[in-house]
Amino acid sequence: MQLVDAELQESRQILPGQWLQQYHAPTLASAARAGQFVHVRTGDWSGLVLRRPFTINTADPATGAISLHFREVGRGTAWMTNLRPGERVDMLGPLGQGFQVDSRSRHLLLVAGGLGIADLRLLIDEALRDGRQVVLLYGCRDTSEVYPSSLLPDELEYVVATDDGSVGHHGFVTDLVIEYEAWADQAFACGPVPMLRTLAGLVAGRKDRLGVATLGRKRGGGRPIAPGSTAARKKAFLQVAMEQHMGCAVGACLGCVVWGVDGPQRVCREGPVFAFDEIDWDATAADGTHVR
Amino acid sequence: MKARRRVVTQGKGGPGSRGAANAPAPKIRRTPTVRAFRSAILEPRPASGTRIAVPVVAPVRPSVDPTRSSAVDLSLDLGRGLVLRNPILVASGTFGYGVEYADVVDVERIGAICCKGTTLRPRQGNRPPRVTETPAGMLNSIGLQNPGVDAVLDRYAAQWAGWRVPVIVNVAGESIEDYVGVVRKLDLVPGIAGIELNISCPNVGRGGLQFAIDQEAAAAVTRAVRRATELPLIVKLSPNVADIRPIAAAIAEAGADALSAINTLSGMALRADRTGPFLGNTYGGLSGPAIKPVALRIVYEVAQVVGIPIIAIGGVTGLDDVLDFLAAGAVAVQVGTAIFADPTLPVRLVDELAAACARRGLVRYDALVGTALPRRPGAASAKGVEYRP
Repeated sequence: MQLVDAELQESRQILPGQWLQQYHAPTLASAARAGQFVHVRTGDWSGLVLRRPFTINTADPATGAISLHFREVGRGTAWMTNLRPGERVDMLGPLGQGFQVDSRSRHLLLVAGGLGIADLRLLIDEALRDGRQVVLLYGCRDTSEVYPSSLLPDELEYVVATDDGSVGHHGFVTDLVIEYEAWADQAFACGPVPMLRTLAGLVAGRKDRLGVATLGRKRGGGRPIAPGSTAARKKAFLQVAMEQHMGCAVGACLGCVVWGVDGPQRVCREGPVFAFDEIDWDATAADGTHVR
Repeated sequence: MKARRRVVTQGKGGPGSRGAANAPAPKIRRTPTVRAFRSAILEPRPASGTRIAVPVVAPVRPSVDPTRSSAVDLSLDLGRGLVLRNPILVASGTFGYGVEYADVVDVERIGAICCKGTTLRPRQGNRPPRVTETPAGMLNSIGLQNPGVDAVLDRYAAQWAGWRVPVIVNVAGESIEDYVGVVRKLDLVPGIAGIELNISCPNVGRGGLQFAIDQEAAAAVTRAVRRATELPLIVKLSPNVADIRPIAAAIAEAGADALSAINTLSGMALRADRTGPFLGNTYGGLSGPAIKPVALRIVYEVAQVVGIPIIAIGGVTGLDDVLDFLAAGAVAVQVGTAIFADPTLPVRLVDELAAACARRGLVRYDALVGTALPRRPGAASAKGVEYRP
């Protein structure tokens, strides 16, 4: 974790209301792992007292560039869209626990709902670099929100579902998961809580449907793994990136919790990536976390 | 050094007049002065002859080279041996246990760290969402999530004992027994420099707010804790009361070594679609620059009725805020919400305060304290806010 003065290099609107910004921040670019985030200090701080958390969308250690993908939702993000190349932004990061890919996983299934793609984008790059096969299932409302395939690597299999059926599958993105669950060694998801909850339900029944052995477990052997540990997450079939309104982003204020089976879990410290079975899905859905 | 200004805030003939022998026991401590809480700041006392802040060359007006702000003495004594190297603290709940920001902040340069509110037993806290931004501020409703006093001591006390910065443990509870129970466990533990009694958390059902709004209850819990420990005792005041002065006076009378003011103001926010409250707990505590005028008013009022040091909290985002609170009678300030945006702010404020003193030719910062307080008793501004009966 460091405080970094990042210089904006490029800013463009890639979808209506959604922006992709590239910053020059070499220390972040080389330290960032997929799923980690930066805490960005916005201007006009007399009115905006909190930083904004953004997942690191892409990171290129060679050029020292990182990119952030976000939707313009309020004054903080509006301020960011008005930045001009060359202007500098104070970022704290990289923060949080990223995705844990098991070294034996060959086939990765990524499920993104809307802006959730921002959390998975860097994982695509890392997985392809490591020679894994990746399928991205992407769900959104209609054609206007479909993530441009020009921004995705060619090696990726990209499947789209839209709520109105204007492009790709007509329905929820979670409908597509069944077709890939036998193929996939591990799955990673980010999106609205109802989507993640549905996925968690699907994954819970996966073993019975397929009769597959849990990844890496030796018959009758092995030490018990503490839930929430890196090792436990690596062995979990599904990892989810959670979102929550955030204060400090370093674990001090306890503001950004989601409800886990063992009580409150800090998104900034224990997360943002959790194994699907760490989250208390009934409680989390009831919290209405994603109302804004 | 500047001439001291003597301030008497309550004249003879008032409700607590010293002439009335048969009057009921005075609720408010009588005629404290700015001098009284200025004495909280360590000064070179000629009588002791042991503490000389800077070598004074010129006998008449010691002047400081403005470029040498390191020569400025910012130390202060909050009572019972709680000596801080500078008056910039970090507020409870915004700095965790001091370890979270260690990567980006030199924590040992801060005056003192007030750790997250600690209770007797572990608490899970409130349902999320717990924080949201508001105009020039934020709402939080953490609900005192903490692992309990035993776990806190287990995990952090040894580390704290090795730090040069004093750690003040913020103590919360639901009953006097809770507070006393926590304090007994903290007493005599190496690494615990003092106690901040949180009798003003607005975010828990039975979370002690009932102590902060009633002067008898506030005095009772202060007295009970005072009996339980020899540790320096700071009591944190709530702004969610009609008149803070009798409560502050009662707490001072009950044996607190210092007061900190203010905790958050009770507030709420709605969901974007206005179908209900946004926070999982419905209500939250408002903090940030939005509450600074309220904090300033309360510090100003309390400074006129108590003789113990006051630590100001509320919307400190820069040197001007620090100077304001000092002028209103506080001897130290806590930085809270601003840390989230700017973790390095507390350390920077230490340097800026020293530089500001140096620019004014001060060798100590105490001449900045209490300069805005009313000069004569009975001044209109000493009566409290006007809308009160």
